[in-house]
Amino acid sequence: MAEPTAPAAATPAAGGSPAGHLTLEGLTKTYPGQHGAAVRGIDLSVERGSMLAVLGPSGCGKSTTLRMIAGLVAPTAGRVLVDGRDITGIPVHRRDMGMVFQSYALFPHLDVARNVAFGLEMRKVSRSERARRVAEALDLVRLGHLADRRIAQLSGGQQQRVALARALVVRPTLLLLDEPLSNLDAQLRGEMRDEIRRIQQETGITAVFVTHDQHEALSMADRVAVLAQGRLEQIGTPEDVYERPAGRFVARFVGRANLIEGTVAGADGPRTVVELPGVGRVSALGEPRPAGARAAVLLRPHRIALAPATADGPAAGVPDGSSAAPLRGTVLSAGYSGESLAYRIRVGAAGPVLDVERPAGPEATHAPGTEVLLTWDASAARLVDAAEDDRAGADSAPGAADAVPAAAAPHGVTP
Amino acid sequence: MNTHPAGRILRAVLLTLLYLFLLAPIIVVFVESFDDSTYLRFPPEGFTLDAYRQVFANADFRSGIQVSAVTAAVTTLLALVTGVPAALALTRLRFRGRDAVESAFLSPLLVPHIVLGLALLVLFAPIPLTDTYWGLILAHLGVTVPYVVRTVSAALAGADPRAEEAARTLGAGRFTVLRRVTLPAALPGLVSGAIIAFLLSFDETVISLFVSGQSTRPLPVAVLQYVEYRSDPSIAALSVCLVLLSVAAVVVVERSLGLRRSLRS
Repeated sequence: MAEPTAPAAATPAAGGSPAGHLTLEGLTKTYPGQHGAAVRGIDLSVERGSMLAVLGPSGCGKSTTLRMIAGLVAPTAGRVLVDGRDITGIPVHRRDMGMVFQSYALFPHLDVARNVAFGLEMRKVSRSERARRVAEALDLVRLGHLADRRIAQLSGGQQQRVALARALVVRPTLLLLDEPLSNLDAQLRGEMRDEIRRIQQETGITAVFVTHDQHEALSMADRVAVLAQGRLEQIGTPEDVYERPAGRFVARFVGRANLIEGTVAGADGPRTVVELPGVGRVSALGEPRPAGARAAVLLRPHRIALAPATADGPAAGVPDGSSAAPLRGTVLSAGYSGESLAYRIRVGAAGPVLDVERPAGPEATHAPGTEVLLTWDASAARLVDAAEDDRAGADSAPGAADAVPAAAAPHGVTP
Repeated sequence: MNTHPAGRILRAVLLTLLYLFLLAPIIVVFVESFDDSTYLRFPPEGFTLDAYRQVFANADFRSGIQVSAVTAAVTTLLALVTGVPAALALTRLRFRGRDAVESAFLSPLLVPHIVLGLALLVLFAPIPLTDTYWGLILAHLGVTVPYVVRTVSAALAGADPRAEEAARTLGAGRFTVLRRVTLPAALPGLVSGAIIAFLLSFDETVISLFVSGQSTRPLPVAVLQYVEYRSDPSIAALSVCLVLLSVAAVVVVERSLGLRRSLRS
């Protein structure tokens, strides 16, 4: 099942599509009686054969977006295009989408093989062809030996494999996965993550994958779209989204983050120097901003190195090149979690509190109350926008607390 | 759990007493149905199967069985025809007044049957629907549809609505989804609802008393009128037949689908 076949209902657009296999244009959904839109004008496109992760907190509109692609939800505005052809008005059952649900959504009254065969029956595939393709799909998900089991006799992981086989056996145009790993326990989740990625790459199918888990998004997808409150905050490669977040929401939602608020002091070549209260001047990479503007510096906890502060001054390396000396801080707490140590460190006497994560083992553990020096690589500091009052709700992502009270600043999303 | 021998014995004794208390009337009737006297007495003194022969020789009982069977069968069918779509709408759709509709469907359970019977008599007499099959069936629908709605709703509520969406993404139109996914999921509730409806209708006495008459007299009413003048073991024998019918139906449902599960909601 390498090349997805065009369904009877779909007449492929001549000459393919320059924009991508799947394109969303201003996709919007407003539910009656609900304040604000669930999905607000999403524009994105997915290349043929690639996997897009749609990442966001619960209620950000990611599932609604996926359901609009599938045709289960009718958009209020905007269009869904496949190969440049507008499919917005085509009903679900003629869209030729393979969908995998969080709850697996298998048919409990049918056995494994008949679950998988359902879509083929709908397409009036002959009995012998059906048997052949069901066997092929079950082999693909490594469940060939369980074809005549009842659904209730399967484990969660096996049920999700059946759901995958059922969606793939019809060779759909797109594979849509709605939180497919959320109902699995941690170990199975990792296994299924690799499995889904393997199958997607083997079949070469274009896939869209919805998740609230940044690890899933970063490790499985070719590109990640981050959604917040129905808006597309950023779309890019996993590295883009993690290393070069377009905004503070993305910085905090994708990975853990220290965001230190301050004022832009000036430029230093391609870098921007920011005055951070209680810290001093720090230079960061990112879209340049005018002097005097509010901005925040992003420091990932694992990018900060620690060294014991000796009595006679700095011993370890120089920090980011702009601050004159390494920062001094006091360890407030140190949490051991096997693989790593999570520190909370106050900078200076009354500066911000930073999260620092160090691998456990090679380094000496810094006990609470001890003084340490904080350093980081020049590329570790990124410039992002400062906190904005009306977006406070979206900021409840995992990550460090804001060090400095919020100040109003225009919210700029870099595409 | 309680492994102490004295505790186990106490438990067994209490359970036996409880079941004896619950089953005592049925046991008495069962024993009495084999008595050879011409009136009901306990304990019995002889043994015969005459009572069973008398039941099926009695023309009133025979026509009563026929009326009840026809009424119960048609009632069951119509209860499914109205109750299943109602349950589908109540569990799968969101619409204004959903709660009101749901209450309306379940409210006959809250009204005493004697009130329902009287109300139906007043309503049916001028049409006239009293003493007709359709009158009986209509009256019985009121008390059976709620059970069908309930059992089918419970089965549907337990089924994953995402499975229906999955079927649609796989190419099934709405009607195919209903036939291939939704109804199979509701089947346990449908079957137990049908059996409950049949038994309730077959057994219905109070409302039937009001709306039935000389030409359509269901079995329970025939029995009632019979015992006004006589009380002999044939009544006991008939009761045993009815109990066995009910038990058989419940056992079949319980074995195949799980009645308890489909009644829970």
